[in-house]
Amino acid sequence: MANNEGKTISAQNVLLAGLWRENPVLRLLLGMCPTLAVTAAVKPALTMGCSVIFVLICSNIVVSLMRNLLKPHLRILMFTLTIATFVTIADLFLKAFQPDMSEALGPYIPLIIVNCIIICRAEACASKNGLFISIVDAIGMGVGFTLTLCVLAAIRELLATGMIFEIPVLPTAGDSDGWFVPWAAMGMPVGAFVTLGLLLAGVNLITRKGRR
Amino acid sequence: METLQVLLLAFVSIVIVNNLVFTKFLGICPYLGVSGRLDMAFGMGCAVTFVVTLAGTLTWMINNWVLAILHLEVMKYVCFILVIAGAVQLVEMYLRKFFPSLYDSFGIFLPLITTNCAILGLCLFIDLWSIKSLLETVVLSFGAGIGFTMAICIMAGIRENLELADVPVCLRGAPITLITAGLLTLAFMGFAGMIR
Amino acid sequence: MDKIRFFIRQSWLLIVASLFFGVLLAVLNAQWEPRIKANEIAKFNRRALALVPDANSFEAIGSDITIDLGKGQKTQVQVKKALDADDKLVGWAFTVEGSGFADKIRLVLAVDTKFKKLKGYDVLFSNETPGFGDKIKKDFFKNQFHGAPVKEYTLTKIGDDKAIDDQIVAISGATVSSEAVVKTINTYLIQVQEGLRKQGLIGDGQ
Repeated sequence: MANNEGKTISAQNVLLAGLWRENPVLRLLLGMCPTLAVTAAVKPALTMGCSVIFVLICSNIVVSLMRNLLKPHLRILMFTLTIATFVTIADLFLKAFQPDMSEALGPYIPLIIVNCIIICRAEACASKNGLFISIVDAIGMGVGFTLTLCVLAAIRELLATGMIFEIPVLPTAGDSDGWFVPWAAMGMPVGAFVTLGLLLAGVNLITRKGRR
Repeated sequence: METLQVLLLAFVSIVIVNNLVFTKFLGICPYLGVSGRLDMAFGMGCAVTFVVTLAGTLTWMINNWVLAILHLEVMKYVCFILVIAGAVQLVEMYLRKFFPSLYDSFGIFLPLITTNCAILGLCLFIDLWSIKSLLETVVLSFGAGIGFTMAICIMAGIRENLELADVPVCLRGAPITLITAGLLTLAFMGFAGMIR
Repeated sequence: MDKIRFFIRQSWLLIVASLFFGVLLAVLNAQWEPRIKANEIAKFNRRALALVPDANSFEAIGSDITIDLGKGQKTQVQVKKALDADDKLVGWAFTVEGSGFADKIRLVLAVDTKFKKLKGYDVLFSNETPGFGDKIKKDFFKNQFHGAPVKEYTLTKIGDDKAIDDQIVAISGATVSSEAVVKTINTYLIQVQEGLRKQGLIGDGQ
């Protein structure tokens, strides 16, 4: 809990916390909805991750700048307003420059507003720390989230279609000398839940070994 | 008679076929977090049903009667989330004042509901499906709440029994819950295509 | 007066922030809106162009056609003329929507100049089961509509999927998705034909 001690917080520590020790998905179990919903393929997962990084950095900057002006009971309303604005910007940007991705992700982009990661970081980090630490924290958390999403998406896309990032990796049955039979279930909701469950189990296994 | 049929179909479709938790991954956080005990889960479900009916209807009204006419669709998301936060706040105050016993039973869940994706998600899906009639919106919103309650109660029931089961150490907690949820979605996939 | 002052002291930040965010969104929206609109049209055109290769541009006809979806529901369709480089009519194209296995499906339909033969369809949006229902995007199913006469289509389980007629052979393992495509096309095709006839844009087909 490096960022609660308040004395000297090293930026490196904050950055690494987001990547592994306090990884939002694998360790804190935050932001489950997008994690499960957009990880059928790597491309939407990456787009989602980048949008979250953008919103997280912007909202952390704004919240950090006005942290001394906030009235406690209007705090959450202010956070929500800030986040909703930046999510709308991200949504407009995707619609304008990445229309295919915008359609594939559909309502899950606006749903970033209620992604617990962002409001949790605004509350736990940005409203207590200075600008620099808030930005570093946002980058750490955002990249940690994106990497997890991409790993999950890569596993699912590989097993569901034999491709990663729409590039064929495994020769699919039906082509000449192909052997891989696409595992359609991995592309469906059940694949999302089971893969994430097994991934979490794997992380548990690693951390338990490390502790001994 | 025809309207009734449409409404009934919409209700069944949102509760079972297009269940927000099982097919759209909405409201997963409380679904995994709160659903440890059946009575808690039911309380949470009731609170969500109440708020989602209110929020779905209100956001539809604002979207269709205010934003669409003023061509302010760009403010949609900001308005939606403010309406939801406001509705939750209102419900909380109203319950505390007039139904203290009800407030005690599901008051603790209310602040959590603002960031429940099922609520904002439903408002967005109603917009995406371009539902035209107010009555259908009300039915869909209420159905979404019932669907969520059903999902969370099934999960809670399973988890109560799971505590007695011998689960490998590294799977305990969230992983086994996720895998259970996965199997449940597989079961609910059998309903897909029922409503055409 | 005291009340108002208290209110302002409590919420000035919120009000200032709302104004600032409002202006920010308005500016960005004004900046990007033309691009977003152009993207939507480009998407339709790309699909429609694949169906009507000799077209150069698409132009919406004067008034939308009302379609009766049954069960008391109605919708509007914007039919577009496909024009070649010399502005000569080479076909018609429009978007149709129906409910598929898991979610809505949205298709682009293209029909020939006289509205006698279908030029085929393409999928704009669908969320069908991967490996089964999403075969409605595959050529072997789509080709059954390519050149088929404009009338009510019927779905059969067995038959010749190479024959171009009003019999559509279902995708095995995905009857519901195949049925959804056929039903959606049936709902719109004849009614759009009627609508165009009423506007005097195509002959009466006698």
